Amino acid sequence: MEGPGRPLILGIETSCDETAAALVTDEGEIRSSVVSSQAELHARFGGVVPEVASRRHLELVTPVIREALAEAEATLEDVDRIAVTRGPGLIGALLVGLAAAKAVAWSRRLPLVPVDHLDGHVASLYLQPDPLEPPFLCLLASGGHTMLLDVRSHTEQQQLGSTLDDAAGEAFDKGARLLGLGYPGGREIDRLARGGDPDAYHFPVARVPGFDFSFSGLKTALLYAVRGLGEEELEARRADLAASYQHAIVRALVERVREAAKQTGRERIAIVGGVAANSELRAALPEATAAPLALCTDNAAMIASAARWADAVPYPRYLALDAYASR
Amino acid sequence: MLTLAFDTATAVATSALVDTGSSGHLEVLGERCSRAQTLLEDVDALLRQAGAHPSDLDRLAVGLGPGSFTGVRIGLAAARGLALSLDLPGSGVSTLAALAAGAPRAVPVIDAKRREVFTLLDGEPRVLAPQELPFDEGAVCVGDGAKRYRSLLEEHGAVVPPDDDERHLPRARFHASLAGEPGPVDDLEPLYLRVPDAERNVS
Ligand SMILES: [Zn+2]
Repeated sequence: MEGPGRPLILGIETSCDETAAALVTDEGEIRSSVVSSQAELHARFGGVVPEVASRRHLELVTPVIREALAEAEATLEDVDRIAVTRGPGLIGALLVGLAAAKAVAWSRRLPLVPVDHLDGHVASLYLQPDPLEPPFLCLLASGGHTMLLDVRSHTEQQQLGSTLDDAAGEAFDKGARLLGLGYPGGREIDRLARGGDPDAYHFPVARVPGFDFSFSGLKTALLYAVRGLGEEELEARRADLAASYQHAIVRALVERVREAAKQTGRERIAIVGGVAANSELRAALPEATAAPLALCTDNAAMIASAARWADAVPYPRYLALDAYASR
Repeated sequence: MLTLAFDTATAVATSALVDTGSSGHLEVLGERCSRAQTLLEDVDALLRQAGAHPSDLDRLAVGLGPGSFTGVRIGLAAARGLALSLDLPGSGVSTLAALAAGAPRAVPVIDAKRREVFTLLDGEPRVLAPQELPFDEGAVCVGDGAKRYRSLLEEHGAVVPPDDDERHLPRARFHASLAGEPGPVDDLEPLYLRVPDAERNVS
């Protein structure tokens, strides 16, 4: 057991609908990771409502920090820097975490490390007990983002492609809504698809040039497939529709990843983000390193992890720092 | 007793460092104003000016709104972070009450966007259309809402001080003087006065 008194990084994440805090060591050991999901709160709206999310972040931001400290059996005395998500995300939500992070850092004269949320997802791979070392090819797929990255080092990466319209996770959510399933949609479709036939329907995968993705056509195809069905018929075909729809999304992702691996010559592949929790995607890329399930969805351990390589802003320069909604 | 007071509910964020003597007399050690995102820059400058360290603070007095939802949250999130880190108690003060305290007998009017304003009716915060504001002929209206609807209010017989009059700002020194018995800062809730649109559409 490592005793307290070790310098820890306090990570804070409030970019979307998870309020999270974590304590991570410089070596990438997670001492605590607390995530308070708002998914249930947003379920009745069928998606994340920014104003509702921001209100909840304010209520939860200090309780999750307290819980992370308690779980790690640490105090702020053990913390030597504060890492916080600066963007991209919902601006009103980001500002809650940033204001709290600045306040904690300022009151103790600690440096602040502003972290890009997407770098955070990649850095979920650098945590103990099985950290992945760059270089590798990384698929980042979540409710807000879908991109292929050539990760060259802990600080250098090149974006090879990204989605031209919906993110993969968004496609799952929209599909779930068309199928009358709950929110978040990814988990619901994944669960239902296990009892369905992935070849029952053929949903087309958009062919776009380069390493980009497109999922909006897929959603339209599902809409047409569902529209002709009555209530009972939909009930009977729901699992097949979910399985076929999921299969199409996974196929699109896997094809691109394999093409990119071939072209870049990268031997190692990694998948991160909420969609990396999808069981079919994990099975379809057995050679890939998937982020641990608990670190796929938004969390603060990945933000603290990214801070191990990002530049710390010393006191008092970070006091004027602003959040950004998009990159 | 060193009180740090601030309000980020309106476009101009205000802050003040106030010393409360044993006699209950308030001494304002410094005041600043900028905007919510840079609130802690102001706070930092106030403490440096006074030669104080964050750990010298005894309590917080925070504006709860009503005003900009995002602005109010930035102030309260900062307050929660400070309270957590420095183990400080705090009091919440209505932004309208602070505005009214800075301009005795005036009507506080805060811009609520969507062609509405926040004001005090019989001491209670309310949201209404600017033309629904009840006031007597010659009444003084202050606040960013009064500035925004100046011509309409003046047409109805109100007096609106010049735009740069400091009475238009909810100055944080008044938060310090209005603050009640401080308690846990995590218990302070914003005065939103409006439910999120999505909530209204669902119900
Ligand atoms: Zn994310």
